[in-house]
Amino acid sequence: MNRPVLVRREQVLRGGQPRSFAIGLVVALTIGIVLLLGAGHDPIAVYERMFVAALGDPDSWSVTLNRAVPLGLAGLAVAIAGSMGLWNIGAEGQILAGAMMAAGVARIGEGWPGPVLVTAILVGGVVGGSLWALGPAVARSQIGVNEILTTLMLNEVALRLVQWLIHGPWKDPDSFNFPLAPMIPDHGRLPVLFGRAHVGVLIALVVIILFAIAVNRTAWGFELRVAGSSGATARYAGLSLERKTATVLVMAGGVAGLAGGIELAGTADRLTEGISNGFGYAGIIVAALALMRPSGVAAVALLFGAVQIGGQSIQTMGVSSSVSTILQALILFGAIGAGVLSRYQIRLIPGDPGGDEAKAEAS
Amino acid sequence: MNEASLIGLCAASVSFGALLYLAALGEMVSEKAGILNLGVEGMMAMGAVTGFMTALEFGNPWLALAVAVAAGALTALLHGWFTVVLGAEQVVSGLSLTILGLGLAAYLGKNAVGRPPGAVLAPVDWPVLSDIRWIGPVLFQQSPMVYLSVLVGVVVWFILSRTRTGLALRAAGESASTADAAGHSVVGLRLAAVAVGGGLAGASGAYLTLSLTPQWAEGITAGRGWIAVALVIFGAWKPGRVALGALLFGGTLALKTRLQTFGVDFSPILLSMLPYLLTIGVLVAISIRARNRPSPAPASLGIAYRREER
Repeated sequence: MNRPVLVRREQVLRGGQPRSFAIGLVVALTIGIVLLLGAGHDPIAVYERMFVAALGDPDSWSVTLNRAVPLGLAGLAVAIAGSMGLWNIGAEGQILAGAMMAAGVARIGEGWPGPVLVTAILVGGVVGGSLWALGPAVARSQIGVNEILTTLMLNEVALRLVQWLIHGPWKDPDSFNFPLAPMIPDHGRLPVLFGRAHVGVLIALVVIILFAIAVNRTAWGFELRVAGSSGATARYAGLSLERKTATVLVMAGGVAGLAGGIELAGTADRLTEGISNGFGYAGIIVAALALMRPSGVAAVALLFGAVQIGGQSIQTMGVSSSVSTILQALILFGAIGAGVLSRYQIRLIPGDPGGDEAKAEAS
Repeated sequence: MNEASLIGLCAASVSFGALLYLAALGEMVSEKAGILNLGVEGMMAMGAVTGFMTALEFGNPWLALAVAVAAGALTALLHGWFTVVLGAEQVVSGLSLTILGLGLAAYLGKNAVGRPPGAVLAPVDWPVLSDIRWIGPVLFQQSPMVYLSVLVGVVVWFILSRTRTGLALRAAGESASTADAAGHSVVGLRLAAVAVGGGLAGASGAYLTLSLTPQWAEGITAGRGWIAVALVIFGAWKPGRVALGALLFGGTLALKTRLQTFGVDFSPILLSMLPYLLTIGVLVAISIRARNRPSPAPASLGIAYRREER
């Protein structure tokens, strides 16, 4: 009996990443067709509506771009850490922490002039996110506490902190006892570029480009990538990993926190418990599809923004919004599969699965 | 605070504790074999929705439970296929599984929202024992899932620490190449562990919709899958300690809705942070102690194994 095994290709297939991405998309859309047919919808009509709502005209582009901002920044927050081999699973919590700090600033600075207030809100977001990542950063760099688990746990803590704030201390007295925080002042909102797209789109793009340059083109980024690919090599080269680990995680938190500030001042206008709405987790998928490279994050985030906005639009057709959630996860699974196959090929080798014969051959 | 409400709190701690325990045991088995599955929340949701819908359709709670277990295991095997067979990143695959499971559950259960349950796992009434003061209502008037979770805990402990299969499974999680060299199929062991983990998460979800809160609504799992992930760490990958942790964390879930009746002026929302904060505390403690003694975490946890590259 022949046994299939994965064998590393001598050369990685060219154009591997965009191609796996496309395969992922095709796989997801195909399974989506099955799901839609199963629920009695016309898949073509649904996909057409999704496309039009997300990318059909400048107005829909503006909404999609707005959505790509938190996805891209969260993806960047994961990718920055990822380029050093660290897992920042905490973008969700860092976005929330950024939004909380930004909302706090908006409360204090109500009387400040517009430009000052907007800047302060965004800086507040960065500071909030950085502070939220500080604990895991120090714990990881000083005593080696696994950052995957600490950042993950802190997501849940941040969510409850937001809930507590809007149910308690920050509840709007004019909200008829609904758990709603007050709106931020009008002059604290982000200026609009076109349609509904706000200036956060430009800010996010600049931040992503800066980090892409820093990671790919500077000595600092080179050290980061060396540390990411081999901690031992980095230590041998005399790099101080402790400090780098801590800085990188705090920076990642700051980037995610910026997304929280932008969401508050750009789209949400008030602190809500859904202000992050899973952006932090989607950011992990974005970063994974971008192969943890900051330079790839923007394009993936745009695609995911389109899928999300398109997915919201089909609710009016009676299609569950969960379809877009499912599509996002399937894109990733499809892409992971295709990504593996661009680096490995399946070969059949003779032998019984797990049998003695196969072992003898392998060893 | 009176006696009845205190008994109610203890009983609810046990009920919630069992819910967390089932899912955490599953995650523990998976992690013991070296596979971190962050998809618990998604697998739980799949079990919850399939269990509830099977009960609606067929009216048999045990069939519903079986379907939920199968659904959880199948969902988990997707993670298994990508991480064990293809060697993909476990963190990314697991989180995607959570997103996929939550989405799929919402999609499948669209027409079940708000409907009364087709069947429930009714509490067991033990002869004599149920009537004992205090102990009766807390321990012997519970859903069958509570007793099942204890049984599963014992079985998992026995298999992991007293059988050759368990030894092989732990070897796959500690040092996959050693397990392979010893003649075990690392892929087979890991896939089996992932499937068991998913099945138990599915069972936990079914417990939710067939017994604890017999209804289906999107988001009904409410982050309890994450508590289960935390619980494994809190319990240092040991079934007994995980059980104690489950009672403690279950207690915080039970206390959350009861703070006001006890006249305690403390925000239930802040209380619900406790499991996560305690787990972070345990993580830090483990790392500090790891300077002198080995960490209780399986050494190969999260690392893909490809025989051809060892």
